Amino acid sequence: MITTMVGNYPKISPDAKAPSLRAAISRFDESRITLEELKRVEDEVTREVIQDQVDAGLDLVTDGQIRWDDGQTYIARGIQGFTINGLIRYFDTNTYYRHPIPEKKLATNGAITVKDYEFAAANSARPVKAVVTGPYSLARLSQLGCYDDLRSLVMDLVPILNREAKALQAAGASVIQFDEPSILKHKEDIDLFAEAIEAVTDGVTATTGVCTIFGDASGVHSRLFGLPVNIIGLDFVMGPGNYDLVGDLPQDKTLGAGIVDARNTRLETVEEITESIKRLSASVSPDRLHVNPSCGLDFLPRPNARAKLVRLVEGAKKAQEELS
Amino acid sequence: MSDKLLTTAVGSYPKPDYITRARSQLLRGEISSGELEELEKQATAYWIQVQEDVGMDVMVDGEMYRGDMVAYFAENMEGFTNSGLVRSYGNRYYRKPIATGPIGRASPMTVDWWKYAQSLTDKPVKGMLTGPYTIVDWSFNEYYPTREAFIMDTARAVHDEAMDLAKAGCKYIQIDEPALSVRPEEMEIAARAFAVVTDGLDAFTITHICYGDFAKVFPHLATFPVDMLDMEMTNSDFDFLDLIRDYPSFDKYLAMGVVDVHNHVIEPLDKVKAGIKMGLEVLTPERLYIDPDCGLKTRMVDESIAKLQVISDAVREVKEELGIE
Repeated sequence: MITTMVGNYPKISPDAKAPSLRAAISRFDESRITLEELKRVEDEVTREVIQDQVDAGLDLVTDGQIRWDDGQTYIARGIQGFTINGLIRYFDTNTYYRHPIPEKKLATNGAITVKDYEFAAANSARPVKAVVTGPYSLARLSQLGCYDDLRSLVMDLVPILNREAKALQAAGASVIQFDEPSILKHKEDIDLFAEAIEAVTDGVTATTGVCTIFGDASGVHSRLFGLPVNIIGLDFVMGPGNYDLVGDLPQDKTLGAGIVDARNTRLETVEEITESIKRLSASVSPDRLHVNPSCGLDFLPRPNARAKLVRLVEGAKKAQEELS
Repeated sequence: MSDKLLTTAVGSYPKPDYITRARSQLLRGEISSGELEELEKQATAYWIQVQEDVGMDVMVDGEMYRGDMVAYFAENMEGFTNSGLVRSYGNRYYRKPIATGPIGRASPMTVDWWKYAQSLTDKPVKGMLTGPYTIVDWSFNEYYPTREAFIMDTARAVHDEAMDLAKAGCKYIQIDEPALSVRPEEMEIAARAFAVVTDGLDAFTITHICYGDFAKVFPHLATFPVDMLDMEMTNSDFDFLDLIRDYPSFDKYLAMGVVDVHNHVIEPLDKVKAGIKMGLEVLTPERLYIDPDCGLKTRMVDESIAKLQVISDAVREVKEELGIE
């Protein structure tokens, strides 16, 4: 059983001695520090959040997406043809992101996250999972802009993100996760989604995953479980219905199980976590299980996020003892 | 006061620099809370005068004393504590309330401010509250086993406040629910909670709802236990009017946002007049109020005044052109 994170982690720390990304961004916006100085702070904070994960005992870490303003624009800004528009609400959360718009036909502008992966890998005592936004959700969370329909936008993102995945793989990434938060809100698009995931992972030999959040996969779960990826990520906090579906997960697939609430400060007990894991283990053997928070932890203050990871690892350890 | 095509505002106005400065001074212990309050009163009086000057019919106090529409109530209710900083977007952070015990209201939270604002004008001033659904949705929950229990206790606390406002003589009570349109599946609970808030309330009730998938939730909105819906419209090309047109039994009053609050540009008079006329195609002038899309607190002071002025001018001209008295 592997303990891991979904992706992002709170960017600022209440620790007065920690490097302050918030202050650095303000100073950069006021032209009081250079881009290089801002990037140095981003590097320091990235090291700090990787260390938090290692200290908590996670087996597989992420870079915390400290450099990402949100899940969409960090990727969109790295693709030729996108401009970035005004603020829009991110699903049913009280957080906002800027709306990407394709102003002209999209084209690659070179690797987007490869340097970030290399930096994280060089600064982590544990393996690093590379995370990129999936083609379907990136299109769904953008405006159509110059595109006639969703399908043509998704299909133009596919080769760009496929190239990104291959570049990550060449840089040494052994696990590559595509975040797809939108598909469970638009289950009617499952055919387009499956086609996009098939194409975006084409020729990628690293371990691949698709991560869904904010709901259950009822109605589309067999299609989702049949995707040509290794790890299927499901949110068991906002989608408790997923417990009833995982019995159908094929034997060759790993489950990415979001079992700790990343949107609420209430700290789960060790028993709650062990119970969730045991419940999942009835259908999915522990060696096919990744356990993680229900979504990115950036919805929480840093101390709460850290406590959730520590507790997740405690719960996973206890569950493993009880199961063996 | 005529009772046709009245003008109003959604709630907040920008805070003058001296308030922002005084708030940081208070945190550093350089001034007392009494000194801050004097400045907040001064700013409230300023905005009442602005609204007199533009000729607004139903006023607001401008919320000079509130940091945030949820945090203000959470800080003044029992059962909430504040979290560490969480990110809203970009480099913007805030402290999100956490329910750590049963929610309740020990004493009035807004009544003295309402009385003060009302003492400055003969026009009605609205009492401004945040609705239970929004307070819950924008808080963490470490206490309640279900969202519903959390929402219902919060509804009772907001109800107590609304009753005290009415008792003090407040005739218009607005209970904002900007989080409402986000989750259609919770509309039923939200409506039940709102009915708790407005139960037995002797006042004209209003709720402001921000942009969402209105087509999906319209039947809930049309039967929501409130007298008036206040809707953001410029942002959505007035689509909401089509929903009303297609729902013949719609019997609520409507306050219609005709200027965008997210934009520095002051809308041209003709554009605002055209928006008002679209509203009049669907509702009678008695049932239609005109206001900005949302609270103006993120705009500059002079932009806000200009936006209020163009609304007032547009309403006056539309009334003249159509012979509405």
